[in-house]
Amino acid sequence: MSLALPIPAIQLCQVVTIAVAAPGVSGLISRVEARLQGRTGPRVLQPYYDLAKLFRKEALAPEGSSWVFLAAPFAAMTCYLTVPLLIPVLTTFGLPLGYMGDILGGGFILSLASFMVAVAALDSGSPYAQLGASRAKTFGAITEPVVLFVVFTVALVTGTDLPYALAATVRSSSGQIVRPAHLLAAAALFMVILYETGRIPVETHTGTTEFGMIEEARPFEHSGPYFALLRWGSAMKQLILYTILLNVFVAPWGLASSARASSVLIAIAALIGKAAALGVVVAVIDNSFAKLRLFKITEFAAGAFLLAVLGVLTLYLGGG
Amino acid sequence: MSGITAATVAAPSALSGGASVIAVGVLLAEFGMFRQALLRDQVRLYGAQSALISVLAVVVAATRHLPDLYALAALSFALKAVVVPVVLHRLLRGIGVTSSDPRWSDIAGSGALSPASSVLVAIAVAAFGFFTVSALGIRSPVLPATALSVSMAVVLVAFVLMIVRRDVVSQAIGFLALENGISLSALVVAAGLPLILEIAFLFDLLVAVMVFGLLIRVHHGRTESMSTADLTRLRG
Repeated sequence: MSLALPIPAIQLCQVVTIAVAAPGVSGLISRVEARLQGRTGPRVLQPYYDLAKLFRKEALAPEGSSWVFLAAPFAAMTCYLTVPLLIPVLTTFGLPLGYMGDILGGGFILSLASFMVAVAALDSGSPYAQLGASRAKTFGAITEPVVLFVVFTVALVTGTDLPYALAATVRSSSGQIVRPAHLLAAAALFMVILYETGRIPVETHTGTTEFGMIEEARPFEHSGPYFALLRWGSAMKQLILYTILLNVFVAPWGLASSARASSVLIAIAALIGKAAALGVVVAVIDNSFAKLRLFKITEFAAGAFLLAVLGVLTLYLGGG
Repeated sequence: MSGITAATVAAPSALSGGASVIAVGVLLAEFGMFRQALLRDQVRLYGAQSALISVLAVVVAATRHLPDLYALAALSFALKAVVVPVVLHRLLRGIGVTSSDPRWSDIAGSGALSPASSVLVAIAVAAFGFFTVSALGIRSPVLPATALSVSMAVVLVAFVLMIVRRDVVSQAIGFLALENGISLSALVVAAGLPLILEIAFLFDLLVAVMVFGLLIRVHHGRTESMSTADLTRLRG
């Protein structure tokens, strides 16, 4: 199979891979989590059935809500479909649209999506949705410096802030992997991802304890296809963040180095495999720790901040 | 399409990178002591920190062919990672701090700052340590410069731990961790120090443990608590 795919097709493949595989990764995590707790748990494909069901249902909007409430799910979904164009999902070489934005650009687009969802939650007038939106923005402001310091580490190591460049650097030698700055930045990013995807030390991902909810409380008032888009979008955000951690920081191997169809297929399989492995790790963490009280989340964020700052310090002043 | 360059900052060799990682692990253990609310967990972290330093000593011994350091690593592991934590655990158990009585509970005295703020203060102090050492420009033949910066940060953060925490045991642990930072810097700048001197330092540590053990016992005997919050008056 030495058929060479056209470059735009590969770029499209990146988006489609993320969009199609995302609910499956969520399903796998909840399945593994249930098995670890001794339950049978839902099927791995359950999120797809949920989405199909929601798309067939009627959509209702609360009285008094404006067009923002209905536009937000589409805006958020558009953002989540844009980010996979910018990051190395399948290839080691930069695709034409990959240089539209750097790591910060991708971060901005993800924040825009989260902002739109928060505005829609405020627009709904439901107290729980508003609570979730306000909490998500508050803690987002605390985790943002961590992301910035991770980007600084990347910039100091590579001289650019393109995700492709860091992945190439990590692949270049083993010395790049065991240097403390790289490990610290990767660990800090992982902690941020746990926060952003609403996993255990911060938030219970499933369940109905409204008082502890942050991210999960925001789409409370959405229903039908709109709710489906938000659910799908949050699964995609999770897989996008996993992809950034895996293909840029931790394991940038298995990516296609040419446009051949076979290597792109291998890259798709490798990405799903790596994301599944990371999902299992996240499920184990979910089962090993208790949820932090809301006021203790700042301690979690302070821990992540510590790792990120130490990464920059060792790099900038110690040569690590 | 192929405008991607590899690293612009030269990567350290895998060996010196690994050594730096162990050194950073020592600093992270130090920060872990801030986070731990239970005294026995602090003691465990101290043991882990000491073990990391022994590992680093073994790495230096193996790569720089300094056989003396093997003996030192073994001795410091035996003392600081085994004997001292065991002694402290027995001390804690002896005065009943592991009982369920809340007055004598195992929970460290509340700090003067909240954990998140104290970590931020400690980050600032550690950054000061990093800047200071880099300004000195000391180069070591045996370990990367990161390790020296880290050792300075460990010493300073240990001071913050002793200042911020308001119980005797945390302060003792802070002092012992400070000694760990000093052994780390000794490993960086003076790995070839005569063994007899190093051993003398280690036995100094035992004296410190005895003094702190006595202090903890006397303080607990007088005030029935571990807290130093009520030690506010000078007595002539």
